Amino acid sequence: MLTYIIRRLLYSTVVLVLASFLVFTFVTVSGDPLANLRISPNVSELTVQNVIDRKHLDDPVPKRYLYWVQDAFTNKFGTTLLDNRPILPDLWRVMKNTLQLLIVVQLLVIIFAVLIGVYSAIRQYSGFDYTMTTFSFLGLATPVFWLALMAQVAVVQIYEKTGHRLFPIANLNSVDPGSGLDFWIDRAHHLVLPVLVLMVAGIAGYSRYMRAAMLEVINSDYVRTARAKGLNERRVMMKHALRNALIPLVTLVALDFGTLLGGAVVTETVFSLDGMGLYFVNALFSNDPYPVMAFLMVTAVMIIVFNLVADVAYGLLDPRVRYD
Amino acid sequence: MSKRSLWLLAGLVLVASLIVGPGATASPAKTNAGTVVFIHDQEPPNLQGPWVGNNLYATSLVLNNIWYGCQIRNAAADFVPRLCVAKPKLVKKSPLTVSLEYKKTAVWSDGKPVVAEDLYATWKVFTNAANNVISRTGWEDIKSMTRGNSKKVTIVFNKPYADWESIASAGPYAAHVIKGKDMNQTFLTSIPVSSGPWLFDSLQKGVQITVKKNPRFKAGPQMKLDRLVFRYILDTNSRFQALKASEGQHMEPQPQLQIADFLKDSKFKVDRKIGYTYEHIDIQFGAKGHPALKQPYVRQALITGINRGQVASALYAQISPGLPKLQSLAYKPFETNYKKNFAARPFSQAKVISILKGKGCTGGPDKPSAGNDKIFSCPNVGKLSFRFHTTTGNQLRALTFEIIQRQLKSVGIELVPRFQTGGVMFGTTLPSRDWDLMLFAWVGSPSSSITLKDIYGCGGDQNDGAYCNRALTKVLEKVSVTLDAAERARLVNDAEAKYMVKDIPSIPMFARPLYTISANKVKGMGVNPTQEGSPWNISQWTTS
Repeated sequence: MLTYIIRRLLYSTVVLVLASFLVFTFVTVSGDPLANLRISPNVSELTVQNVIDRKHLDDPVPKRYLYWVQDAFTNKFGTTLLDNRPILPDLWRVMKNTLQLLIVVQLLVIIFAVLIGVYSAIRQYSGFDYTMTTFSFLGLATPVFWLALMAQVAVVQIYEKTGHRLFPIANLNSVDPGSGLDFWIDRAHHLVLPVLVLMVAGIAGYSRYMRAAMLEVINSDYVRTARAKGLNERRVMMKHALRNALIPLVTLVALDFGTLLGGAVVTETVFSLDGMGLYFVNALFSNDPYPVMAFLMVTAVMIIVFNLVADVAYGLLDPRVRYD
Repeated sequence: MSKRSLWLLAGLVLVASLIVGPGATASPAKTNAGTVVFIHDQEPPNLQGPWVGNNLYATSLVLNNIWYGCQIRNAAADFVPRLCVAKPKLVKKSPLTVSLEYKKTAVWSDGKPVVAEDLYATWKVFTNAANNVISRTGWEDIKSMTRGNSKKVTIVFNKPYADWESIASAGPYAAHVIKGKDMNQTFLTSIPVSSGPWLFDSLQKGVQITVKKNPRFKAGPQMKLDRLVFRYILDTNSRFQALKASEGQHMEPQPQLQIADFLKDSKFKVDRKIGYTYEHIDIQFGAKGHPALKQPYVRQALITGINRGQVASALYAQISPGLPKLQSLAYKPFETNYKKNFAARPFSQAKVISILKGKGCTGGPDKPSAGNDKIFSCPNVGKLSFRFHTTTGNQLRALTFEIIQRQLKSVGIELVPRFQTGGVMFGTTLPSRDWDLMLFAWVGSPSSSITLKDIYGCGGDQNDGAYCNRALTKVLEKVSVTLDAAERARLVNDAEAKYMVKDIPSIPMFARPLYTISANKVKGMGVNPTQEGSPWNISQWTTS
């Protein structure tokens, strides 16, 4: 397995290098990062030249890419284009915030999706199953931005009618969040709406997978054998069916986790959560290739790592899989 | 329902209650009584001030009341003394010499007095080539300045500089704080002193910046509030919702339709004024532009065929009814020097057709018609079909284009849309001069008329329309060195009426309205159309 992991990591390095060059090229040629600066009244030409010199903006793209690679390795992703701000501290900050959101969402989504999926499979074609199927399709079909806006509107309407605000509708914490436990309660309170919004699509998707996997397993021969041997239904379901049905879901969750680390762009933007998604949007709007590159590299590494984790986990969970 | 199902249901309810639990005991904004939360759309990247990458209104909102000025602009955009005992004086015209005197009560929050050395150090910051300040204009024209601990400052300029009052009014840095510092790396995340009504308190990146009352501020009325919190919410709808949900009490929204809700809501008050930023259509005179645009009669037909008043009222009917069309490229309707020079180019569709036919153009309609699809072709310049550039993602500009396109099409002039992102349009297309008509906004200021030569002078730094009228350029150059404001205004207005209205280098559309929305429980806020923003009168802000 070690050989397999090393080989995968080597392949991934090549992919990363190619991807970074392509992304750098596209980001760089997509617009002039000094555009807004140039149309500012009375802008100092000396200052513009300072920026051009500092970031080698007059050099060809491949050379600029090499400067970026050097900066990324020796200077922790370097600094932003205009205000020369170190990129890494900002990136760490937003990544931590996204992780908080993501971990809570994924945990809750998995719990609910497994419960709903298993119960729907066991009670196939029951009222519960039909209801959950309907809600799943609704959840999958509803755009996240719309759901987020509606959640905000609902909270505001309740507040206007009752004077009672159920949840904060923006930002990661209150003006005075306090410290210690108070801080974390305040943070949790601020994350309720975004978590609920993200949970809708997550549960809708995962519960369908879980239901399908469970149906496949409970109709398989070994489950029938287990029942024939006289095991009680709970044991059959929990020990033989559920454990095997979870395998595809675990793989899917691992794959999704890497992708989601790139931030829930829409949700973070609507709720003004200082996370990876909002960081990316701001970097794009400012036409600054350097934070965009840092973001994309971190995201790409995470996707590669979690893809690997998914593959390894699959092998560990399913003895039929062997690494070549 | 079976027992197992009941357990399952109970589990679901338990988890749900854990999520919803904290919210059930939530109370609106956990803030102190003397706190106002100012919801804003853009977060300053750092606290450096007018530095490259940080030349934002959002930054000046935070810093104006920290690096306080000798005088500041009030809501009417007039200078009023603050740290200074009186307005700076013009002592001598040649060499240009001005003087100012800081009040005895003008002190830094650490107790040291504000003195000449502070302004001197500020001058040195702005002229140091290594410092990435956004603009050195005016500062680099200074020859000498008083140093030391005197409260009186004399500034001598190398050459006449019309906007000398802005330099003299600038908020100085604290010399004793910045001494020996690399200013490119200073004040990134905090500012230790203040000469103004508030002090920097804290910065929570991505969330908020908090400033608090400066108890040592004696040069003017002190803040009644304990503190002001700038909360940053990127999403437009969320900002409005957050204000309604009492997560903030004040905001300065862009002109957006959501403002209409607040105009009807008795829990909020909306203040609105016309600002300095104005929308206009630039016309390309260069070789890559349409040859027809070099013909004065075509430009005359364009401005005559656009009902600018209808555009302004269609865009702002709900949130700013009666917004006037802009009739000057130099001044805004609320300025005392504003003259309706472009009123000489009134809207008349019949006149457009008569102008074009009179010059031998053919193929167009005989009379204006909404369903017209005949386009004029004119001798030696071809079909009157122009590329119309503007930015994507701006609903008001898209609507402006649609209205103008229909208006001009009904008189036989075609506009072909070329929408681009701001980065591409301003970074590549505008300087390339490969366009015909371009709709965008100039961010103006009270001293914009002084720098008109940069936009409309031959070879001006920002003259991307390649317009050139030597006689006008001569006048505009004279304007930039005329020290007397009244004389400057006379020169500008005469030149606009005599040359610009005739040449039509740009078509003025309207000056954008500015808004503030405040909850009724906070008082004292209103629009200030300059970079001071609504907190210019922070000492009058109160909360119940």
